[in-house]
Amino acid sequence: MKNTIKWLTLSVLVISISCTDLEIEQTDSNFDESLSGEFGGVDPAASLDGLYSDIRSQIETQEGLYALNEVSSDELLVPTRGTDWGDNGVWRNLHDHNWDPLHRDVKNTWNSFNQNVYRATLIIDPRSESTPQQVAEAKFLRGFSTFWIADLYGQAPFRTPDEGPNVNPSVKTRAEAIDFALQDLIEALPDLPSSGPSGSLNRATKAAANHLLAKLYLNKHIYLGTTADPADMTRVVEYVDAIKADGFALASGYFDIFENDVDSETILFTTSEVGPRIWNTLHYKQNSPDNEGGGWNGFTTLSEFYDTFEGDPNINVPESGQEERRGFVPTDGSNLGIGYGFLIGQQYDETGAAMTDRVGNQLDFTRELPGLLGNNEVTGIRLIKYHPENGGFTGHQILFRYADAHLMKAEAILRGGTSSETALGLVNELRAMRNANGNTAPLSALTEQDMLDERGRELYGEFWRRNDLIRFGKFSDAWQYKSNTDVTRVLFPIPATAIISNPNLVQNEGY
Amino acid sequence: MKQNLLTKIICVMFLFLGGLLHSQSVSGTVYDKLGTLPGVNISVKGTSNGAQTSMDGSYTINNLANNDVIVFSYIGFKTQEVIYTGQKEIDVTLAEDAALLDQIVVIGYGTTTVKDATGAVTTVAAKDFNGGVIASPEQLIQGKAAGVQISQASGEPGSGIAIRIRGTSSVRSNNNPLFVVDGIPLSDGGTAGAADLGGGGGSARNPLSFLNPNDIESMTVLKDASATAIYGSRGANGVVIITTKSGIRGSGGVFQFNSNTSFSTVSKTFDLLNGPEFLSAISQFGGNASELDFGANTNWQDVVFRDVISKDNSFAYSNNYGDGYVRASLGLVDQQGVVENSSQAKFTGRINASHRFFEDKLKVDVNATYSRIDDEAPFITNSSGSQGDLLGATYFANPTWPNDLNFTSGDGKLNPRQLLDYYEDLNETGRVLVNAGAEYSILSNLKAKVNLGYDQSKATRTQVLSPDADGFNNGVPGNGRAALQDVNVENELLDITLNYTKDFGNSNLEVLAGYSFQSFRNYGRTIQGFGLNTSNLAEMANNLENAADLIQGSIGDTPYQQYGFSSNGLFINQILPIINSDVSLTSPSGIPVNSVTGNFFDNTDELQSFFGRVNYKINDKYLFTFTLRADGSTRFGSNNQYGYFPSGAFAWQLHQEDFIPEAFSKLKMRVSYGITGNQDGLGYGNFLPRQRFADPSIGNGGEVNPPGFSLVSFANPDLKWEETAQFGIGFDYGFFNDRLNGSVDIYHKSTTDLLLQQESAQPAVQPFVFSNLDASVINQGVEFMVNYDIIQQDDMNWNFGFNVAYNENEVQDFDGLIQTGEINGNGLTGAFAQLLAEGRPLFSYFLREFAGFDENGISIYPNGDQQQFVDKSALPDITLGINTSFSYRNWDANAFLAGQYGQYIYNNTANAFFTAGIINSGQNVTGNVLTNGESGANAPDVSTRFLEKGDFLRLQNLSVGYSVNLKEESFLNSLRFSLIGQNLFVITPYSGLDPEVDTPSSLNNIPSAGIDYTSFPRATTVTFGLNASF
Repeated sequence: MKNTIKWLTLSVLVISISCTDLEIEQTDSNFDESLSGEFGGVDPAASLDGLYSDIRSQIETQEGLYALNEVSSDELLVPTRGTDWGDNGVWRNLHDHNWDPLHRDVKNTWNSFNQNVYRATLIIDPRSESTPQQVAEAKFLRGFSTFWIADLYGQAPFRTPDEGPNVNPSVKTRAEAIDFALQDLIEALPDLPSSGPSGSLNRATKAAANHLLAKLYLNKHIYLGTTADPADMTRVVEYVDAIKADGFALASGYFDIFENDVDSETILFTTSEVGPRIWNTLHYKQNSPDNEGGGWNGFTTLSEFYDTFEGDPNINVPESGQEERRGFVPTDGSNLGIGYGFLIGQQYDETGAAMTDRVGNQLDFTRELPGLLGNNEVTGIRLIKYHPENGGFTGHQILFRYADAHLMKAEAILRGGTSSETALGLVNELRAMRNANGNTAPLSALTEQDMLDERGRELYGEFWRRNDLIRFGKFSDAWQYKSNTDVTRVLFPIPATAIISNPNLVQNEGY
Repeated sequence: MKQNLLTKIICVMFLFLGGLLHSQSVSGTVYDKLGTLPGVNISVKGTSNGAQTSMDGSYTINNLANNDVIVFSYIGFKTQEVIYTGQKEIDVTLAEDAALLDQIVVIGYGTTTVKDATGAVTTVAAKDFNGGVIASPEQLIQGKAAGVQISQASGEPGSGIAIRIRGTSSVRSNNNPLFVVDGIPLSDGGTAGAADLGGGGGSARNPLSFLNPNDIESMTVLKDASATAIYGSRGANGVVIITTKSGIRGSGGVFQFNSNTSFSTVSKTFDLLNGPEFLSAISQFGGNASELDFGANTNWQDVVFRDVISKDNSFAYSNNYGDGYVRASLGLVDQQGVVENSSQAKFTGRINASHRFFEDKLKVDVNATYSRIDDEAPFITNSSGSQGDLLGATYFANPTWPNDLNFTSGDGKLNPRQLLDYYEDLNETGRVLVNAGAEYSILSNLKAKVNLGYDQSKATRTQVLSPDADGFNNGVPGNGRAALQDVNVENELLDITLNYTKDFGNSNLEVLAGYSFQSFRNYGRTIQGFGLNTSNLAEMANNLENAADLIQGSIGDTPYQQYGFSSNGLFINQILPIINSDVSLTSPSGIPVNSVTGNFFDNTDELQSFFGRVNYKINDKYLFTFTLRADGSTRFGSNNQYGYFPSGAFAWQLHQEDFIPEAFSKLKMRVSYGITGNQDGLGYGNFLPRQRFADPSIGNGGEVNPPGFSLVSFANPDLKWEETAQFGIGFDYGFFNDRLNGSVDIYHKSTTDLLLQQESAQPAVQPFVFSNLDASVINQGVEFMVNYDIIQQDDMNWNFGFNVAYNENEVQDFDGLIQTGEINGNGLTGAFAQLLAEGRPLFSYFLREFAGFDENGISIYPNGDQQQFVDKSALPDITLGINTSFSYRNWDANAFLAGQYGQYIYNNTANAFFTAGIINSGQNVTGNVLTNGESGANAPDVSTRFLEKGDFLRLQNLSVGYSVNLKEESFLNSLRFSLIGQNLFVITPYSGLDPEVDTPSSLNNIPSAGIDYTSFPRATTVTFGLNASF
């Protein structure tokens, strides 16, 4: 018995020696200061890089923000071509305004842009000890993300760094969210670097903040449900003038702007690869040396939209009388055989030979489509702004461009803003600049429709069409392959997963 | 530290040695039917007195009194009792234990007998294992135990195997049981999944392949909570205890040699169009056939599939020398897959030794195994897009293309020949598993045991895709891509147990108390390369490794998480001790790869546990078991660091009661209830805010963007294990002296606190957050087993066994909807087939209802172009196994059928490749597509069109054996020849290659089930085997 006791004592001793406190160690990840979960700040430089990198990938894809803003508009559609681009109906639902709270892009965009807001909030928090410029950049990015959430979804949740996952984020109304974004941008302005045209405009500058402020004030009355306030419109004019004061200006050579070069128009770009903008529209057999896989044969435009450009609607080869921005289809094998702007009719390869599709028929892009379903490989006019000749995967995607600012200023004046210039004058200034083939005649008067059409011709495929259509009251109209005129579609639904995870959110009307 | 402990413990044990001399004694010899038997345990009932037979089977036992009961026991033999009445000599012949009645059952941290077991436990011994080509131990017991569903995900050598014991209880995490090999609970992982070089990622290898099936003595499945609760937070999915062979049966030294040679062929292929049929189909759908005629007539399935011969040789020596026994074995397996470039070569070595010291008071066991596995995998992925992987490309390649390496279609279509020759995927895994245990009998009824375990695995997977491969749209052509992944696992274990038994006359008490500490370290790196500057595959792999070595060498001792090298130079991202992003470094000269990224991981989890078990037996009739385990785990949040897992069971030997009819030779009732956990789905450090840099990637132009830095997990101190409460009642029955025997079990399992990566309430740091969801998964079912010895004669035996299990699964109290079951292929981006929802089984299909084609060949969806529940799930309702064995003189034959019923399979392969739209885009299809009325412009959206019944009954194994009669003086002790057929036929309505299929298609971090997408075809195999001992 004595032995037993000895032995038991020894066992207890052994166990107590070998007992561990069960704490994990920092070996391949950095733990927050306290394990209690209290926020102790993030590394500002690394986190800011991370945030830019996130936005870069959010912009790069043909899904997400691009799809919500472009495929839901009268500029783009992604027809289902037999087995291709069915993608469980996500593209058809976007174009005919039949999306629901389970929609992929509705969900992913909500998550990624709200995530941006939170990451920016962590950088802005004083405990992260960011420099004033880092705070300003984070505020710019938070303003940018908040703007899109408010614009797309009409409400914006918010979480402070100290609110853990068990806290349901509070929700800002659309007006509150826009005020919040405006405040961020105004606070950011003094500490942002000022820069004129340069190759490093992939980070926030004063000009980028001024551009976004102009955009917010131009749209503010839509968010408030009122008519345009002339004071706001004058602010738009002032912000655009501030951009101009930094050295930005309209640039000639429309398609050159989309090369990876310094030009006077680019105010903000991301290093997102432009591949998805190129290949999503080109046919499988249209190719560049750095992309053996060929195009993806997806995105096309509507003939109604194509017809808003000056020129013969049935042909778009060089010298066929079209305006510069409509581009052309080369017939002599130049530019890898791939056109600029709008690709319609027979396509040619890099030797100038007429191309065939995958089953051996002529590769002849049609004006019209049978509908969203039942398409073959050649239906629909393609549109391309970034060109594979400049690299099929170049990392240079424009977010803010001076021509947009220029047209915002014109529109603000049209809507009652005060300026020494006139809206018509500004629009004609741009049209004169784009007058490459002598077909862009000056307008004699400027209606709202003219303004919208000019924005469409200048800015197609640059993320703004849905926003423009809503501001001009046209988003709920019927157009080709879209019959749904439900006005509640001006807002996307709150994703189903978000409604479940945060009871403070209330689903938008109509969903 | 721990090694020191062991020596200390051994030292202390010396202190307690001793014994007393007594006057009355008996000696004798113990025999079995072959001769003397060394190592037999001899004890005197109710005392601490005992002995063991020596080399020649002789023994002496002292200190006896009249009417003492001497007990002779030996594993695998019936225990015999002799009453001492003053004999001078007692010789005993032990009978082999055929009746299973006293069969030893391995349970957690100990053993019991079938008779005394209170839990639902099924043991399958080596003689009942499945034969033929066996890559991994799970296959040995496939279909042998009711309620244990074992499915191989595909026919690939070394592919993963899923085991579901009593249904699928966890939504998110691994549902595989805990494997315990000779007392060492294994951790998951240790193998790398395939990196995505341009056709989707691939699955990891089966981590259990390292065991040589010939080394396994028995596998025991613990099914109910009373049996598994001793494993606490890891017991919820059941436990499989693997016991390796000791040398105990090798008295005097026995050599054993097994050799198998197997011939395998693809059991089914698709009926694809040949060249002329293809061209006429192109015309039928309005294409210009002459443009697509490349002149050849290639059967691409013949190019990619092959007939193969595999070899499996193993050699073992075992010796029982009285005071101990030893067994050493070597195994060499060369398994070839039925797809080109697929194989697994395996070397295993094992030594098991056991020795008794100090008059048998101290028993030391050492088990050590080393294995080296070389896997070769073809370009088959789980999630290929519109271009397909090797199998996708094979199915829709134009049959008029020549089987020519230099052929390029020029429009982004992949040439299967190139995928065979321009891709290489090699995985080398070395693993060492050692455990050493010392058991000391402090008193005859008090034993202490210390067990130390060490498990180390190092795996390196290298994949290269040549710059000569055409058609890829991720920059591969002209550059090439490569990936190198090192995955290392290091686990350490210390177990200390005390075992106390007390006999009270008409009742017995057995108490187990224990402490266990286990640490699990995972570390490794992922290297990716772009622009490898050669098209020689071996050189590509070398260049990548050299580039990584050169870069890592130049960074030196500076700590970092990752690095990236491209034309923009070299950078590192540092986390510890300081966070420092995008630090530019001077690149070393001569890096042989244009772009390289490296990313590192290293984390360690610990588990510390206290556990106890009490068994109490009254009159050999009423049996009680209580267990409790407290598990402290570094995976749980600070508020729940320790979990407590209790269970209780009661068994009643009813046949000993008068009110039970004599007809029952056995009737035992078992009732159990217990709570077990699952910490597997949780992973490392998910309860506190942790920051890491995101995984780096190389763009399609070779550019490397420094990844962003961010939180990868939230603070959640409440995070804890998933909990399963299980209630079960079972009966073991036997008639005619147990000639007819079996069991019936019913159970109800409720899994709560579901661990889920839920969608975060935005704004949040990441889209998902780990939490315990307030919902439950219910599994309930019935299991039935019967065995009947139809013929029991000296020279003829015929046995029939049947097991069947029914399981019902349902998710309850869940107020969300989560999509899973990703569907891939052309035009199927973002498509999914399953939805997790309240009131439905896991893996419930959510599809468009398909009702044929309209007059234009467009799909008709009567319920609208939207997905809905179709009341079908991927989970089987019924699983069954049928066994029969027959022997006549020297001949024996075995047949084994396995079946599953009630599950549905989503045929993603047909959805992606066998539609009119595919032929209309100039790619090949199966013959039925031409006549089913579909238009080439139709979109084959995800619908019930591709949902099929997955019922099957498979002749898994059919074997015939002949044992040669050997002369006395023969050099050989035994010689047996066998012929084994595997997968000889499958009866199924499923149109795909095989209904036993599961291509991993998770979405939202929720696994899927029942999706078939370009799965590796299964083989039909015939094996010639030779077993000899001498």
